[in-house]
Amino acid sequence: MDQSRRNFCLGAGAATVGAATLSTAPAEAAVARKGGDPAHRWAMVVDVRKCVGCQACTVACIMENDVPENSFRTIVSTYEVTEHDSSGTYMLPRLCNHCEDPPCIPVCPTGATFQRRDGIVVVDNTVCVGCAYCVQACPYDARFINHETQTADKCTFCVHRVDAGLLPACVETCVGGARIFGDLNDPGSTVSKLVREQDLKVLKPEQGTQPRVFYVGLDPKFQGRVDGTPTLWRPSAHAERSLAGKEHA
Amino acid sequence: MDTNIVEIINVTREVAWLPWAVQYFFLIGLSVGGLLLSLPGYAFAREEWRRLGRVALLVALTCGLAAPVALLSDLHQPGRFWHFYVVLRPTSWMWWGSLFIPFYVTGLLVHGWACFREEFQQQGRVDSRLAALYRLAALGGGRNDRLIRGTGLVVLAGAALVALYTGTEVAVVKARPLWHTPFLPVQFLMTALVGATGLVLLLNRFAAVTDHEVEVQANRLLAGALGGVMVVGGLWLALGLFGIDRTHAEALESVAKSEAWRVTAIWAVLATALPFVIAVAKPKGTGLLTGLIAVHSAWMFRWTVFIGGQTVPKTGAGFYEYALPAGPDGLLGIVGTAGLWVFLLLSITALLPTPPRSAPHPVRAVPAADRAVAAE
Repeated sequence: MDQSRRNFCLGAGAATVGAATLSTAPAEAAVARKGGDPAHRWAMVVDVRKCVGCQACTVACIMENDVPENSFRTIVSTYEVTEHDSSGTYMLPRLCNHCEDPPCIPVCPTGATFQRRDGIVVVDNTVCVGCAYCVQACPYDARFINHETQTADKCTFCVHRVDAGLLPACVETCVGGARIFGDLNDPGSTVSKLVREQDLKVLKPEQGTQPRVFYVGLDPKFQGRVDGTPTLWRPSAHAERSLAGKEHA
Repeated sequence: MDTNIVEIINVTREVAWLPWAVQYFFLIGLSVGGLLLSLPGYAFAREEWRRLGRVALLVALTCGLAAPVALLSDLHQPGRFWHFYVVLRPTSWMWWGSLFIPFYVTGLLVHGWACFREEFQQQGRVDSRLAALYRLAALGGGRNDRLIRGTGLVVLAGAALVALYTGTEVAVVKARPLWHTPFLPVQFLMTALVGATGLVLLLNRFAAVTDHEVEVQANRLLAGALGGVMVVGGLWLALGLFGIDRTHAEALESVAKSEAWRVTAIWAVLATALPFVIAVAKPKGTGLLTGLIAVHSAWMFRWTVFIGGQTVPKTGAGFYEYALPAGPDGLLGIVGTAGLWVFLLLSITALLPTPPRSAPHPVRAVPAADRAVAAE
């Protein structure tokens, strides 16, 4: 009940997120936060109108973070949309939303996953037992089991780069400038201005997680689970086939 | 607006709770169900429940010992299981589970020993090379109803905590509408009772001599449990179907368009209704059939919830594909767990063979006063 009251502004307020509705972290979550600089609250704004679906961010993330084959910390979901006999392509970059009230954290039985005081949600893979409870709890399918470390894995906003004063790899590499990263605690930052001035949306607002990845131009049809014809492509099956092909060759 | 969306690029998230988890929830459920069925005969010393209770206790012990192995295997880092015990994480039901499971299993072992103590004592009187070991296991005593009742009540508390945590752990996952229902813990418990009763029927059937009284008793219990499953399932369906509750409606909507889920639903209804009708119409001589269907039904429920539930994407279109791998994360895990259970069953029944029914009742020396307490 507490949670729904706390998240009422974002949950019930359809999808629109204005600066006025940005509430702070729940008290218990804020207390549990550790590491990072509390002076910052890192966030991302994704302008889907500028995304060309080149997947450069997907590749940059894999290279930067040594993401294992067949796994993705970020990906640009791509859809063909037909309306009134005209077709178009819709691109939707997805990543961990570094929520203000992340449902992945309270379920963790060992405290391996936690939120830093700058809002970044991370996993200590030396503590994680790989129980995958957080994978189930994430409403965005943003987490997975890394089969090299056998622990939970996800986007960290490239925390190692951010701590060194750099941008996340996906932001750095984005050719269209669709990904904007910055500090919500800095009123002069681009993300703060966008949050204040634009009609931003978040994914699955009804979950009450208060994502800190915002979208410009997010079509409501793609805000939750997409009602469409699924992709036939399964990376692991594809890899198995490629491997089998190589062995035959 | 007439819109057609085709997903061209997205990622399939593999199931993260593996068939090991299905095995765990199945076995621990059957163990809890078996324990509940054994309590009237042992902890409450109701003689007419004693023979059924003995079979049920075997179910509780064998499944309860095999279950934690399956759970440990479901961790991707099983060697780090001790990490659960060096932190305080009261917000995580899984963390609570890590406390409840050892409490329950230890209690179960102590209770099992208390229940079987008179059999140990009896075996110790037989002229065999193992007699000394049996006497040692009996710790110089025989049947002690007070001890049985005391340990029974403790392990009942453990079973209640296990039933609570296993159900709630899954039901709190808001991200999966199919799981996020207060009915789920009840459904897990009811289907666990179905599975445990089914396994009692099977073990009774495969014992040296089938006990038809136990069969009829278990079939009646099975009918009751199946009735409960149908009522709870019907309520869940009604909430979704009539849009009374949004989460339930979402859950139903997430799978309604799938042919595979429709087949699963029909299968589930048949696997519940059919043994119910048989158990009511002909409780004698049908134990093998109703038992098999009941055990299968309890397992299928968990398979559908866990593996089926994880094939429903949270954001993507359609469904994720799932094919059962042959290795440890799939078929081998299922067969291996079943093999462990068979090993435990053979070991326990080899040490403690079913007492012959024709023989006079073993060492009965319970004072009348005790009996009166037990009957209250």
